[in-house]
Amino acid sequence: MKRIPYYPGCSLQTKAKHFETSAMAVAEALDYELVTLPRWNCCGAVHSLTTDDLMHHVAPVTTLLRSKEFSAENHLDDSRLVVLCAMCLNVLKRTNKRVQELLEDRTKINDFMYLENSKYDGSTIVIHFLELLREIGWETLSQKVKHPLSNLAVSPYYGCLLLRPKEVGIDNPEAPTIQEDLLKSLDAKVIENPLKNRCCGSYHTLVDKDVVAELGYDILINAQKAGAEIITTSCPLCAFNLDQRQENILKKHPDFTKIPVVYFTELMMIAFDLPLEKAGLDMHYVDPRPLLLKKEMLHE
Amino acid sequence: MAYPDYMRESIELVRQSRLKRIEIDKIGIQNVMTPLTEEGRKKVLSENHPDYTPDARKQIRIGPNAGEWLTTKVVEILESHSRLPKNFNLDQPDYETDVLVIGGGGAGCQAAIWARLHDAKVIISTKLRIGDANSMMSQGGMQAAVNPNDSPLIHYLDALGGGHFDNKPGLLKILTQEAPKAVKHLEDLGVIWDRIADGNLQTKTGGGTSRRRMLSSRDYTGAEIMRVLRDEVRNHPEDITVLEYFPAIELVKDQEGKVAGAILFHMETGEYAVVKAKTVIITTGGFGRLHIKDFPTTNHYGATMDGLVMAYRAGAKLLHMDSVQFHPTGAVYPAQILGFLITEKIRGFGGQPVNKYGELFVFPLEPRDVEASDYIQECRAGKGITTPDGHVGIWLDSPIIDLIHGSGTIEKNFPAMLRQYKRFDIDIRVDPMLVYPTLHYQNGGIEINEDTSTSIPGLFAAGECTGGVHGRNRLMGNSVLDYNVFGRISGIAAAKKAKETTISGKLHTDHIQQYEKEIQSAKIETTLKTPILLPEYRNLKNVSKHLDEYDPFLPAGL
Amino acid sequence: MSEEIEAKLIPIFILSRMHMVPEGSTIITAMEYAGFKLKKGVGCREGFCGACASLYRLEGDFKLHGSLGCQTVVQPNMQIVQIPYTPSPKAIYDLETLNAEQEVFTNTYPELYRCLACNTCAKICPQEILVMDYVQAGIKGNLALMADLSFDCIMCGLCTTRCPAEITQFNAALLARRLYGKYLNKKGRFLEYRIKQILEGKFEEGYQELMNLPKEALTKRYFDRELNFNIT
Repeated sequence: MKRIPYYPGCSLQTKAKHFETSAMAVAEALDYELVTLPRWNCCGAVHSLTTDDLMHHVAPVTTLLRSKEFSAENHLDDSRLVVLCAMCLNVLKRTNKRVQELLEDRTKINDFMYLENSKYDGSTIVIHFLELLREIGWETLSQKVKHPLSNLAVSPYYGCLLLRPKEVGIDNPEAPTIQEDLLKSLDAKVIENPLKNRCCGSYHTLVDKDVVAELGYDILINAQKAGAEIITTSCPLCAFNLDQRQENILKKHPDFTKIPVVYFTELMMIAFDLPLEKAGLDMHYVDPRPLLLKKEMLHE
Repeated sequence: MAYPDYMRESIELVRQSRLKRIEIDKIGIQNVMTPLTEEGRKKVLSENHPDYTPDARKQIRIGPNAGEWLTTKVVEILESHSRLPKNFNLDQPDYETDVLVIGGGGAGCQAAIWARLHDAKVIISTKLRIGDANSMMSQGGMQAAVNPNDSPLIHYLDALGGGHFDNKPGLLKILTQEAPKAVKHLEDLGVIWDRIADGNLQTKTGGGTSRRRMLSSRDYTGAEIMRVLRDEVRNHPEDITVLEYFPAIELVKDQEGKVAGAILFHMETGEYAVVKAKTVIITTGGFGRLHIKDFPTTNHYGATMDGLVMAYRAGAKLLHMDSVQFHPTGAVYPAQILGFLITEKIRGFGGQPVNKYGELFVFPLEPRDVEASDYIQECRAGKGITTPDGHVGIWLDSPIIDLIHGSGTIEKNFPAMLRQYKRFDIDIRVDPMLVYPTLHYQNGGIEINEDTSTSIPGLFAAGECTGGVHGRNRLMGNSVLDYNVFGRISGIAAAKKAKETTISGKLHTDHIQQYEKEIQSAKIETTLKTPILLPEYRNLKNVSKHLDEYDPFLPAGL
Repeated sequence: MSEEIEAKLIPIFILSRMHMVPEGSTIITAMEYAGFKLKKGVGCREGFCGACASLYRLEGDFKLHGSLGCQTVVQPNMQIVQIPYTPSPKAIYDLETLNAEQEVFTNTYPELYRCLACNTCAKICPQEILVMDYVQAGIKGNLALMADLSFDCIMCGLCTTRCPAEITQFNAALLARRLYGKYLNKKGRFLEYRIKQILEGKFEEGYQELMNLPKEALTKRYFDRELNFNIT
């Protein structure tokens, strides 16, 4: 079992707990242990674009530093930091890039963080769990499949933060294929959605649900028109906006039919035939289980 | 401020004897160093305890206990003038309430919480901030018979023997029988008790207890309870008004002679205020900061016996005010923490008192007065260690705890103590602590009945300011229990009494004039004005040149 | 307290005025030596009550240090001020109706979520508590961790004076500890059983016997009693 540091971020231990548990189960099946950092704090939540307010970069730098110290002290097999949440990934990578490139900022932030045991040098490498899977290899993954998703029409959704800006994106920002490649390795029927890179509305969901409902409607209706039965995501906020806000979509568009939105790791668990207690299939607004039952992917 | 070299030689002897002493612990320390018999106790007490020296007591000439022999310092404080200005006008009360609680420590907060639950409006008057009290400082724990091989009856017997059989039986029965309920009440309020793996309460031994009965919350037991009680008081601002830095200085009565409120004095502005209350509860704690016989103290800055003075002047009878508790283990080194409390829980976990040769010389868990007398005796015999500034003490071997229970035990159970010494570069996991008895507790106080009422109508009292519960020597963990049990009872009793009380006519302070007359006729000559509110620690050489004569804090008797 | 030894005097600055005080004094005893009659900013004098929160700076050091006045030994040219009290919002709640879960702070201390994870709180904490870590634990809904990490908090308030997000850390932590103590701390059964025994009057007879025993018999019973330090 290879051990690699893992940073959860706040959502992954609360609302998106099942994303974490399913990812850990999948990783274990692939001989990886995601070791949660013993001390971690909020990533900062939104990347600060200001040039002079460095305070908002302290949180991500603290996380990057503690990951570095943790993997060194515990001799982990892989010193890179795995992240599941697209928002955390984006904030951590962009901040990392900033302190790698701007020595002055790095010094200032390190000076501010004098309580820490060491200085941060920019050396932590942050990767998304999807990137780890890509490294392990689609071929290896497909060998693990015991329960092919052959008759399931799945449309992957990316949103923004996994892909943009391109310096921190994990795939081609205009035409990503990483989720498609993954789903193909599970033998799923992949449905292309032209709006898979469209913004889900992000934090507007807190102040104006209608904006998010409108965006979600476009994204989901396009996927459905293309024949999708289920959507996968890799971001807790996207998942919330596309799943939970279907309630608001229905109020505005009575003709809309609901469609399940799940994390890609949940489908992986089904494909790998892992025990589903930790999959969290019951944690969705639109319950995916009737569909999965109909497709004979779940047992009663 | 680590130990100086000359102490190192002795510390080395302590280290060398440690292995042998672990063996003693394994056999059961009571089997090797047996507890003293009745005669043994009497001997060591009479020869060494500060209460037994010829000048320890003095006959009080005035007030309800006139003619009795009380602790000398107590008599000096009681035979004094009121600090209330002459011709003070009581016609316009500034506050009116059902129950006035004087003192914002553990007993006061419990009283307020329970008086409110019995539909009373409450005012708490306190000298410093609410919760700044001895209650906050108790480290070791609270006693309650919560083990199957223990019972409230054994608790009763332990406390009675520890108190030299002077405890009032009715009060002691309530204390011991209500203990498990008090534990549950605190648990319901969210106090985090230490527990063993099955979820039952962790119990340790204390001095004078024959069972494991000491409950704790790491070594922040008092702080944990106090901060929870304080929070609960603050959850009810509509019913409980807290007046901080605004202590009571005298009680007032109505035309029937019932206590009907108090006069407060603001510590910052110097203003006075009159509180009209249907009933009054005194929860002002004890007298540690009077430095009886010049001992250092473990006590809070505000422990100056204020409530006792007010109550005595108003005619309340006192009980057992001839006995003083010295805690066996006060810090002696470094000088900055002289007198600080080293919790008895250290010995409850197997820590051993040893002399400068590293020898165990006493059963570590005698009642406090006996244990303290033994330490004094050992030092008088020349087997103590003298500090650079002339204090003497014996070692309390703490490192043995980690050897008995496994490393990490001290860190987990004594975080406060570990931090305390670390600030002075001493690691108590490696080196022992130098200790000597320190002034700790007022065993006696205002005499109370089982419902905490006093000898004068309208006045209730709870906690350390009262007498009778502990006899002439309190056991460890019974004061935390005392304020929780009797604090609650006082709140309920005072609230109920308030409901059937109407204040009759004008408020007055005739008892103060009466007391003043007694001072005159007894020909007592004193310039002291009390309650003293805060002890005097200023270096007056530095400020006396042009000191304002109206400074209310310059004690007149200085 | 009478310190009769001739101590070397060192200069310190209290409220900007220089005073010569004995080397080895704590901030509190140094202030008293200098003539201050402390009426606030002082309490238990043993490091438990948090009343003597102080700020100081040392010569040639940019850091603003937080400390307890009763626990901190003065150093030459130290600049000192006390912070006896920090105005802090205190949520009003009924513990009986709260749940021990993450959302508890949204209705009580919502400002907790403003935490920037800058760790300034931990820098000032005189108890060396990982303040930011417990705030973050609270945000994640890990009340047990929040209770554990904040256990040694004496509520001096220095963290909240320095917090750029203006959080009242210590009050939120107190709520977490109370919820932990009430709902999450695993409870055994014996306490309830003992209380039931008491309510049923199981010990009444024993009390009557003990309370009516003559002193001599009582004394004998006491000194003859068994010492049993087992738990069962």
